[in-house]
Amino acid sequence: MAQNLTGRIIDTYGNLIGQHIGDAPDGVRWWLDFAFNAERVKVNALPELNVMPYQRQAAAIALDSVTDALNDFQHAVVTSIFLPNEVFLAMGLKPVTAEAMSGFTTAAHAESGFVTAAEEAGIPETYCSFHKVLIGLAKSGVLEAPPMLASCSVACDANNLTFKVLGSHWHIPHVYVDVPYETDDESIHYVADQLRQMAEVAQQTYGARLDPELLRQHVANSLQTQECIRRSTHLRRGRFMRSDMGNEMQIALATHLAMGTDATLLMAQQMEKDLAHAKPFDGVSLVWAHVPPFFLKPIADLVSQSKDVQIVASDMLYDQVHPTPQRYDETQPFESMAERLVLNSYNGPSTRRAQTLLRMARQTDAQGAIVFCHWGCKETAGAAQLMRHTLEDAGYPTLVLDGDACDRGNCMEGQMSTRFSAFVEMLQAQREEVADGVA
Amino acid sequence: MALQSTKPSLSTQGKKDTNQQVGQHVVYYACKYTPVELLAGFGAKARLAEADVSSFDEADRLAHVNLCGYGKGLIVRMLQPDVHEAVFVTCCDVIKRAYDVLKAQDKFDFIYMLDLPHKRGQAEVRLFRERLRRLAEAYAEYSGRTFDVGAALAAFQPPLPRTDERVTLVGAHATKAVLHAVGTDLGCKVENQTCTNRQLLVTPPPQLARMAADASCSACDDQVTRTGDGADAGRAGGSLDAFLDWYADALLQQMPCMRMDDVEPRSQLTSRRGQRGVIYHTMKFCDYYGFEYAEAIQKENVPMVKIETDGTSQSAGQLRTRLEAFGETLRGSDVAKEVVSKRGVSRKGVYAMGVDSGSTSTDAVIMDAQRNIVAQVILPTGARATQSAERAKAQVLQQAGLDESDMTIKVATGYGRDNIPGMDSSITEITCHAKGAHYLAPQVRSVIDIGGQDSKVIHLSPDGEVVNFVMNDKCAAGTGRFMEAMARVLEMPLDQFCQEGLKWKKEVKISSMCTVFAESEVVSLVAQDTATADVIHGLDESVARKTATLAKRVNAEPPYLMTGGVAQNEGVVHALEDVLGAPVQTHEDSQLCGAIGAALLGLESLQQA
Repeated sequence: MAQNLTGRIIDTYGNLIGQHIGDAPDGVRWWLDFAFNAERVKVNALPELNVMPYQRQAAAIALDSVTDALNDFQHAVVTSIFLPNEVFLAMGLKPVTAEAMSGFTTAAHAESGFVTAAEEAGIPETYCSFHKVLIGLAKSGVLEAPPMLASCSVACDANNLTFKVLGSHWHIPHVYVDVPYETDDESIHYVADQLRQMAEVAQQTYGARLDPELLRQHVANSLQTQECIRRSTHLRRGRFMRSDMGNEMQIALATHLAMGTDATLLMAQQMEKDLAHAKPFDGVSLVWAHVPPFFLKPIADLVSQSKDVQIVASDMLYDQVHPTPQRYDETQPFESMAERLVLNSYNGPSTRRAQTLLRMARQTDAQGAIVFCHWGCKETAGAAQLMRHTLEDAGYPTLVLDGDACDRGNCMEGQMSTRFSAFVEMLQAQREEVADGVA
Repeated sequence: MALQSTKPSLSTQGKKDTNQQVGQHVVYYACKYTPVELLAGFGAKARLAEADVSSFDEADRLAHVNLCGYGKGLIVRMLQPDVHEAVFVTCCDVIKRAYDVLKAQDKFDFIYMLDLPHKRGQAEVRLFRERLRRLAEAYAEYSGRTFDVGAALAAFQPPLPRTDERVTLVGAHATKAVLHAVGTDLGCKVENQTCTNRQLLVTPPPQLARMAADASCSACDDQVTRTGDGADAGRAGGSLDAFLDWYADALLQQMPCMRMDDVEPRSQLTSRRGQRGVIYHTMKFCDYYGFEYAEAIQKENVPMVKIETDGTSQSAGQLRTRLEAFGETLRGSDVAKEVVSKRGVSRKGVYAMGVDSGSTSTDAVIMDAQRNIVAQVILPTGARATQSAERAKAQVLQQAGLDESDMTIKVATGYGRDNIPGMDSSITEITCHAKGAHYLAPQVRSVIDIGGQDSKVIHLSPDGEVVNFVMNDKCAAGTGRFMEAMARVLEMPLDQFCQEGLKWKKEVKISSMCTVFAESEVVSLVAQDTATADVIHGLDESVARKTATLAKRVNAEPPYLMTGGVAQNEGVVHALEDVLGAPVQTHEDSQLCGAIGAALLGLESLQQA
């Protein structure tokens, strides 16, 4: 059975939420908090049994991170998903990303009202839906002001625009980390200095002290987590992932929002063990670029713990993992975080991201790839054909699939489902042809 | 452990350089932070790249349809055979991806991506200086030329003082077609401050000029053939360093574009002092300037109009109405004076004719000197707008028992306003609708007009003057055409469609306002056996939501008057009342609003003549 982002958040009230965003933001906030916390209890007390242990851990980390932050918002910091969070974790703060809050809101079927609230405030319809929902949450008064915002220019312009608007709306400090395109040492030191300034602002804002030793421990956790992911990539080859789209999103949140925590390191270590003992898989394995539309049943069900087709790897897990270990370790924690950010596959030219996808496809022995063009993501849309050509030239058929990973209103469900299914059927036919040829 | 190459952005691709052979280097660029003067120091002429084409098929094929028109136009232009050299800047997401796509085409002699910081502090200036130096080295190596500080300074354009009583064009890149439309349709002088308008705000220091003079004295030394890897970027290494010491900061401290972290100086572009008005240009799929417009419109301290284009050559043609209307708003009472009285008063008295040539209907009204409506006609426009207008004129004159020669003044409005023969003047439907609405319902402060092909909201002052207005962009979302398309999907005539929607029982949500997406949703709902009345109600609500979004953008306030063909659809009117939280009036003569306004403006001009 498919497990969506928050499993089975009670979604009957999504429309009700939409109707009362304007006149009862406190009530809507209460309801969303209740829904998220109820799901947290469920995930911890009644975990999904069909998935692997590390996937259950990822679900719990994602839910705990978001609910912890929302339950104690005065110690939360709202961030963009690629920003290193170790500084905040070492200060006992609770980072929560735009994508996490928006994704959870979508899981509660409540995104539409917040998208409308943002568009009524003048936000362009062509803007990223994850960011529109966050702005809608803020502008409607449903989300109260956190003490501080922090974002970085990776991966997209939205991290510049959204957080600037929110900082102005809430009148709170916003630290923007500018990540250069080039990957040289100058770039790393430039970003490291900005992360130090971010730490300064955080200490002033929250009145908390950054313990250097704790920071080093968190950065060491991050490096070990990356190493586990890197080491285990080849273990995915020919194995049954038992995953679904919601789970892919949860893992992406765990390895970004909570990167550097003990829990995420334990999850990554568990992943290595689980993958080593995973059952063989004889269906079609796909590499996925960008976050998947976990809420679209006709598509999500096709890859949900299916023995016919699966997502074998998503580039939201591999964006921070490079073929070779980092140069800077935990003894220079700011440089280490900066290096990870500068080398992120979503930074720089899109050939870097295309090569990451190709590497994933080769190491996992995938049969094809999906480049998911999330609505409003110019970074992906502009590079979609380039990524497709890179993969197809190397022998991996690739489907560029347009849709929205956050707002149902931008998804042509029937057409998307037909395109996705036809692509899978094509890959299955190719496999059979190859098998027949061998026989 | 070695890091990745520090020069991933350079490609000289080893091609024969025809420009270089004839001594002409032309570098095409996209962003105002491009170091035009630095390139000039190597003898290269820089040109802004933009395509004047009606579609972006090649860019859609190579990249994606959901990129802004400027980015797509850039791809199309750069692929032309005359482009050999290109310098990009890590400006916005679209420009970065355009670079990737173009570099993969393997057609350039020189293509380079310059890494631009998003901030403008000292650390950023240092970093940017180093990046500029690398570009200089790469270009020196490619071109075999030496940096000439004199040539760089000669390319420098001194800062222009801002003029008083200016109208400023702000926002996303404006194509030549848009600049032309703004220049001709507004009727006022306009300064260009869009994102690609490049202007350094400081002048070079005197020591650089002295250095240039000294260099010219020892020109012989500088003509040395370059060898090696370009590390000294020319024998003028000293002058290059001195130039970059000044230039990195000067280039970075231009009026910031919206992708910069600190955009506070941009408030000067829309400040009241010396400012007559602002034209705010946004481009489909360029989100940056939509954000700034949303903030600027809230302040409303200066008259402002938003225009949106998609970057194609024909999109500028659709701006005329709103630019002319904005010009009329800026000129205020001057509008009436523009309506010139050409004939004396007939012995039958003073009469003014107003003709509104719209996309769906053509309306004509005759008013007497006491502002009474003497005759009125509404005809379908059909395929020939001019002929319909002629018929409307003939019928309204016949109804009034008057001849055309009895008309003291005749004023046209609507889309076809300039194609009606024999009229004395034309005024946009924005100004006319405002005037007409104030006549029909003097207490009204906001007019919501949803016609066949556009929807607009006009915010009025208590005196009926236009305070602000907004129109939908060129897509059919939320217009009469949208409803007609949906009625066709449900296979029923429009009248029946409107009536059926009132019988709804259950809330159905249509998420998308895009005609194509909404049709898909409607088909899905029909497949699920959803009651037709509920589906239509969902569509009514979606139009109401879209319209309310427009209304909020101009700070519309009650009382509301709804005009245009969609005002006949009770379901939409009720849905609008729910969304706006206030009653929405209609008026039995609301369809005549534009024609009435035109006639009234004609009468006012006679009083002032």
